[in-house]
Amino acid sequence: MARLLLTNEFGLLVLIVAFAAIFYSLTPGFLSSFNQFALGRTAAVNILIGFSMMAVIVTGGLNLAVGAIGACAAMACGFLIEVAGLPWPLAVLGGLALGAGLGLLNGWAVVVTGLHSFIITLASMSIFFGAMIFLTRAESYRELPPGFSDFGRMKILGVISPLFLVAVAVGVALIVLYRFTSVGREMLAAGARPEAAELSGVRVGRIITLCHGLSGLIAAVAALLVVTRNGAAIPSMAGQLGQDWLLPAFLGPVLGGTLLTGGRVSVVGTFLGALLVTMLTNGLLLQQVGEFWIQSVLGLLLLLAVFMDKGRRAFLASRRMV
Amino acid sequence: MPVLSQVSRTDWFGPLLVTVAAIVLIGSLNPAFLSPFNIQILLQAIAINALIALSQMIIIAIGQMNLSVGAIGGLAAISFAGMMEVWGLPAPAAAVLALAVGLAAGLVNGVIIAATGISAFVITLATLSLYKGINLGITEAQPFYGIPEGVKAFGNAVFLGPVPTVFIPTAIVAVALWFTLSRLHIGRAILATGGNEHAAELSGISVPSTIVAAHAISGLLAAGAGILLVARLQIGQPSIGDDWLILSFAAPVIGGAILSGGHVSVAGTLLGVAIVAIITQALVLFNIDPYLVQVMLGALILWAVGINRLREVRLQRSAVRIP
Amino acid sequence: MTTGAVFEARDIRKTFPGVVALDSVSLTLEPGSIHALLGENGAGKSTLIKVITGVHQPDSGTLLLDGRQVAFHGARAARVHGIGVVHQERNLIPRFSIAENISLERFGAGMLKLVDRAEVEREARRWLDLLEFDVDPSTPVSRLSVAKMQLVEIARALSARSRVLLLDEPTASLTPHETETLFRLLKRLRDDGAGIIFVSHKLEEVQEICDRVTVLRDGRNACESRPMEGLDRQDIVRMMIGRSELIADHARPDHGQRPVALALEKVSTDVGHRDIDLKVREGEIVGLYGLVGAGRTELAKALIGHFHVTGGSVRVHGEEVKIRSVAEAIHRHRIGYVSEDRKQDGLILIHSVLDNTGMAVWRRLAGALGLLADRTVRTAVEPSIRKLEVRTPSLSQLVGNLSGGNQQKVSVAKWLVAGVRILIVDEPSVGIDIKTKAYLHDLLRDLSDQGTAILLITSDMPEMIALADRIVVMNDYRIRGEVRNTRDYQAMSQSIMDFIHEADDGSLPETPAPAGARPEPA
Repeated sequence: MARLLLTNEFGLLVLIVAFAAIFYSLTPGFLSSFNQFALGRTAAVNILIGFSMMAVIVTGGLNLAVGAIGACAAMACGFLIEVAGLPWPLAVLGGLALGAGLGLLNGWAVVVTGLHSFIITLASMSIFFGAMIFLTRAESYRELPPGFSDFGRMKILGVISPLFLVAVAVGVALIVLYRFTSVGREMLAAGARPEAAELSGVRVGRIITLCHGLSGLIAAVAALLVVTRNGAAIPSMAGQLGQDWLLPAFLGPVLGGTLLTGGRVSVVGTFLGALLVTMLTNGLLLQQVGEFWIQSVLGLLLLLAVFMDKGRRAFLASRRMV
Repeated sequence: MPVLSQVSRTDWFGPLLVTVAAIVLIGSLNPAFLSPFNIQILLQAIAINALIALSQMIIIAIGQMNLSVGAIGGLAAISFAGMMEVWGLPAPAAAVLALAVGLAAGLVNGVIIAATGISAFVITLATLSLYKGINLGITEAQPFYGIPEGVKAFGNAVFLGPVPTVFIPTAIVAVALWFTLSRLHIGRAILATGGNEHAAELSGISVPSTIVAAHAISGLLAAGAGILLVARLQIGQPSIGDDWLILSFAAPVIGGAILSGGHVSVAGTLLGVAIVAIITQALVLFNIDPYLVQVMLGALILWAVGINRLREVRLQRSAVRIP
Repeated sequence: MTTGAVFEARDIRKTFPGVVALDSVSLTLEPGSIHALLGENGAGKSTLIKVITGVHQPDSGTLLLDGRQVAFHGARAARVHGIGVVHQERNLIPRFSIAENISLERFGAGMLKLVDRAEVEREARRWLDLLEFDVDPSTPVSRLSVAKMQLVEIARALSARSRVLLLDEPTASLTPHETETLFRLLKRLRDDGAGIIFVSHKLEEVQEICDRVTVLRDGRNACESRPMEGLDRQDIVRMMIGRSELIADHARPDHGQRPVALALEKVSTDVGHRDIDLKVREGEIVGLYGLVGAGRTELAKALIGHFHVTGGSVRVHGEEVKIRSVAEAIHRHRIGYVSEDRKQDGLILIHSVLDNTGMAVWRRLAGALGLLADRTVRTAVEPSIRKLEVRTPSLSQLVGNLSGGNQQKVSVAKWLVAGVRILIVDEPSVGIDIKTKAYLHDLLRDLSDQGTAILLITSDMPEMIALADRIVVMNDYRIRGEVRNTRDYQAMSQSIMDFIHEADDGSLPETPAPAGARPEPA
């Protein structure tokens, strides 16, 4: 019981409830159905971006190119609809495939060169984004079919955005992957101790490539959700080089207690972490805290999260030793 | 012959060859490339980018990374511009205070990393956001326009022939940094910590204070780059620093820096900056899409880390037998 | 009661969760003495070294330097007090020059001071000359062979004017010539009055150079600081292993007629093995003996597809095979490898017992779509966990929280679960207590009785003699000879060492060991 109360997930849940109560007491509009809908939509994207990074953090690596891959996937989807004239479901598949493909490319480069994924994805984020801007001439695709953009505006039961349900579905799929499939278990093993995994028959190179592919795929899902929300595929949706996604990408997993050295994940934690971040952002904006300061708050939040995580681990370790 | 083989093994030899070859090739294809005006533009870009690259290089030397280089530069830049416009401070005083801001930001990074032992990546990602948020909070994303004429003149003046004035501080910094790394105790301690932290600690080198010192230097250099950029752009843009990240890694890596730490080269890094600047300039001269600069930067990084990796492997193989 | 001792450890006790590593252990080091510290793996030797060098603080007992009580809080403190250590692993800055590495201590003081290059070189020259190590002090250490790097570390320890010099397995990677040079130096230092603690596996060396000896067994003193004079090799061995029953003759069947499980013929590998001939029959335990760096672990890793076989033929159960990956070795040919480095290569400490034991069979157990429930894995691993009597509160306990012995059981259980028919066991008793060791030995015999072919790699001579049916000797990546195990310790160890020395005295090229020529995949 005490152990349950010390889990990251429980802590996050407490924080979410506490902040929701505080924000509600300050601005009742916080729990209005409109705000809940908006919150769910934004949270969905943040959650998926977090999952995308988490899929690579599992291997002890990271993927700086999540934003760049997302932007590429979104633009590919827009291009396939507007220029190639494909029906939108096919275009969505095309965007997802490109995301996964770029991720696999990252993974392949990491495995073949034996270099850290930091430098590989730093380079590839520049290459992917530069190539995308070059090919699209930095123009947006705004003529999206109604069926596609309606998805972003749809309300289920008046408050829930289908985007949020997509994030939940991806979360469930990831839980199944890591807990109930051999590939998922191999990902965790390869991430925790590649040498040991290799000598136990895990094809570590393949598994790491796969992790990067998964990361690219989830980044593409996140990007496509942004496209339906905006009703347009915009090259700058994730900022210069996709850098704007980096902070949310790490906030979710780190708040959620995913080990940066690899080998352990918390899907629920990442989910709750991203939800908390979204809620804080939203609540502070409602409080008229200048939007420009939000970024500082998120930075402090990340610092706080890693400090608390360190403290919690030290506490657990000391208890175990007794 | 042995001299040549020794020279060819240094970090700066490869980049130097590439630099010279690029200058000759581009110059012969388009003589405008070697016009005094163009050289001045090129040197201006190099002067500022060099500080950005050196700011990252000193952190690579201890085997870490600093994602907040751009955010520190941006914060220092708007502090510099803001203090002159809003407080009416004279430029030198504003510059000193802006440098102090950069130093403080670097110290914060270093102290948190050294005290907690949490990876520099996560910490500097967090402080990147923190510093950038402060920048935006102060400026509300609006630039400061009130830059004194003297500063504007400094940013675009030439000092000798085509050599711009902004090149002077950069040159001094580069020499000082080279001297620090090769001749001062703190420099050797930084490289020792990067090369083998455990061994350094056993030998009585204080790893935490070395880490703090490296981050302080990094913050100072990033601030310097931000200040020079304000002079050069003649405006205090809040977006200064947003696009520094890739460049800051590209140049040191092209210059032979090993990302795991313990080995960097000031001369190599400067040549790395030069290569990036020359190629960027060439893309403009030949009317090639400037968007391709990003692709080129990424490719350069991959190429450079590939080469460094090969050199590293060869170095280990050749574990030369000393009689 | 002050003796003339330069250093003394008195009644040191050190416990770890669940284990008493040192129980009232003492050691007295006289000036002008080379003092051997001996003990089997797991006897507490490395814990004592860590106490002396300040890495661990003892639970009780005292350390005295020159008769004054001292306490070291951390490795640094021990160094400052004058305990110079040369560890087994290298502690050098690879890109720095030899001279700078020797004078590394300087850079810690006075951040803004100028490096006094001339002084640094002079200091280096002095100690290098003393070591008769003729090398340009400005050479970067990264260009030295492992053996030379070690000499640099010895020079560094000397330059710190250490009162006590502790050398941990200093000759493990030295050639005979380098060893001789080192010994000459140590003798000279001794004659100048230095106190030296010498830790080594190689009893010949210990007998040659040490004048006093302390032996640890089961975390206690089997003898304390007693003169080497009058002790012969047998006496030392008896003190180290304690009981002769370890070498007791377990009636082993004759395997001569059993089918061959694994046969190597003229095998060469990409890590440097040449002309390796080796046969392991079903139900047989074949020992592969050799010194550190002989290429045994590398051969094992080549057999399971981690490194590559580049020539000759490998037959598994009579069928010629080409194993390209570890996965193939495990799943198609049922070959398993228990790693010598449990914490790096063998186990995932941050994962559960269940995950660690099931890792090799996940693929096999997974159903459609690769789905795999904990229950399935549990059913598969439970019999092996029970059979091995792994002591764990539950299957979901993290392996990192188990004792060394239980960890080793888990890494063996993994292969029981996988149902391997050929098992390669690499240094199985490193860091585990005597009881678990005996248990593991019984288990390996059991397995072989059930028909598993076992290739046993160990540097622990008594273990080799207790377990192996045949012993194959390897040195410098080649097979040097083979003997049938008669379980007569003295005769066996003699003939094994003869094989190694035969090769040693030959024209061994002075090369850095080719070990690890291939970088590990990231």
